[in-house]
Amino acid sequence: MSQLRIAEEEVEVSENLNAMAESQRPIGLSDRDDSRAATSRLRMRAHEVDVHYGDTHAIKKVSMDILEGEVTALIGPSGCGKSTFLRCFNRMNDTIPTCRVTGEITLDGRDIHAEDLDVVQLRARVGMVFQKPNPFPKSIYDNVAYGPKIHGVATSRPEFDEIVERSLVRAGLWEEVKDRIGEPATALSGGQQQRLCIARAIAVDPEVILMDEPCSALDPIATAHIEELIYELRGHYAIAIVTHNMQQAARVSQRTAFFHLGTLIEYGATDEIFTNPREKRTSDYITGRYG
Amino acid sequence: MGGYCEAILAKALRSVWDGNDALAAEVAKDDLSIDRLDVAIDEGVLKALALQAPVAEDLRTVMAIKMVATDLERVGDLARNIAKSARRLAAHDEAPTIPAMLVSLSRASQSALRRSLDSFARNDTDLARVVLDDDDAVDDLQDEVIRDILRELESHPHGASREVDVIMVAKHLERVADHATNIAEQVILVAEAKNVKHASKLAGIGSEN
Repeated sequence: MSQLRIAEEEVEVSENLNAMAESQRPIGLSDRDDSRAATSRLRMRAHEVDVHYGDTHAIKKVSMDILEGEVTALIGPSGCGKSTFLRCFNRMNDTIPTCRVTGEITLDGRDIHAEDLDVVQLRARVGMVFQKPNPFPKSIYDNVAYGPKIHGVATSRPEFDEIVERSLVRAGLWEEVKDRIGEPATALSGGQQQRLCIARAIAVDPEVILMDEPCSALDPIATAHIEELIYELRGHYAIAIVTHNMQQAARVSQRTAFFHLGTLIEYGATDEIFTNPREKRTSDYITGRYG
Repeated sequence: MGGYCEAILAKALRSVWDGNDALAAEVAKDDLSIDRLDVAIDEGVLKALALQAPVAEDLRTVMAIKMVATDLERVGDLARNIAKSARRLAAHDEAPTIPAMLVSLSRASQSALRRSLDSFARNDTDLARVVLDDDDAVDDLQDEVIRDILRELESHPHGASREVDVIMVAKHLERVADHATNIAEQVILVAEAKNVKHASKLAGIGSEN
C-alpha cells in the first residue's frame, strides 16, 4: 500500500507572532529591568536602628539595605515611621532636637555617624527630594548650580553650564526649560518644580537619592513623569522612596519594605510581596483589609 | 507560544501522512516547550496584574493573554494526541488510506489556527470574525470524514482498528479549530469589549444580552 504523499507544506509561522515575541514588550516599568545590566551592589545598610522622639519609640530595631541599581520602596500606614526611617540615611533627623538615632548606618561600608564624617558632604552624597517641591527663590539655573557652587564642585562658568544642563537633562526637564533657564524657578508647574528638585539633587553627583512621597502633591500625569524618571535614574543611583501609594510602590520598585508602628514587618522583592507576602499583616495591608 | 503550536501541529500531521514514527515521537518532547511557556505566562500575568493593576483595554489584554495561552496549551496537547495516533498507524503492516477529506480538514484547521493567531497579534477583529464564521465548515468536514470512514467500515470491517485512529485525528483537528475560535473571541473581547462567546447558543434561547 502506498502512502498518500502530501506535498511538503511549510507552515509559515505567523510572522506577526514572531515579531511580537522578538520585540521587547515591556509589561511594566519595573519589569524592564532584567535586560539592563543593573548591578545590585550594596550602597547603604541600616543595622538595628532605633529612633526615639523624646520618650516615643518611633523606629524599633530596623535593619534594611539600599542597593545600587534598584528602587527600594518603603510602605505602610500613616505614622508607621517610614519617613522617619528614610531621614536616618542622610541624618536629616539631626535637625530635630528631640530626635535620637541609635544603631549602625553605613554608606559604602563607612559609618555615617562617625566623628570624622562631614555631614554636609553626606547630604550631597545622599540626596533628598521632599513631598512638597521646594525650589529656591532663584532662577532655574541658579537652583541647580547652587549645590555645586557651595560644595566647590565647579568653579568656572562653562563647568557650571555643563553641570546644570546635564542635571536638567537627566531629570527630564531640560527640553522644557532650556530657553528660559534664567527665569524664576517658582514660575514652573508643580511637576516641573519637583523635577527641578531632582535635578538639584543630581547636580552634586549623589550615590543615593532618597524620595519622601515625591508625587503626593502632583497630578497623575506629573506623577507618571516622575515615575518614568525614577526608572531612568535607577541605572545611575540607589533610590529609596517612601510612598503611601501602594500601586506606585508596586510599579516602580524592585524591593519593598513594609513598616507598621515603627517595626519592619516584611522586606523583600516587590513582585513577591505583591503576589505572595509572607506575613499576614503585610497581606492585610496591601489588600486593604487594614490601614 | 503560538508559533510553537503551529509548528508542532504541522509536525504531528506530517508524521501521520508519512507514517513517520520517529517524527511522531518528537512531538511529545516538543509539547513540553509549550507547557513551559504556559507556566511562564501564568507567572507573567500574575505579576502584571499585581504590579501594574491594569484597567480597561490593558486589563482585557492581560486576561486575554491568559485565556489564549490556555487554548494554545490544549492545541499542543492535541498535536501530541495526533502524533500518538500517527505512531499507532505507523505500527500497522498496512498503511491506512488517508481520506482526502482529512487532508482538507487539516488544512482548514491549521488555517483557522494561523488566522486566529494573526488576528490576535494584529488586533484584527475582521480576521477574527472570519475564523468564527468558518468554524461551521470545519465541523462539517469532520462530520464528512467520519461518515465516509463509517461507510467504509461497513463494507470492510477488518480495518477497524486503523480507522479508529483516523477518526481520532479528525476529531482532534476539529478541536484545534475550536480553540482557534476561542482565540478569535478573545480578540473581539479585547478590541471591542464585546463578549461573543457561545453567541449562537445564547441567541438560540432568546438571551436578552
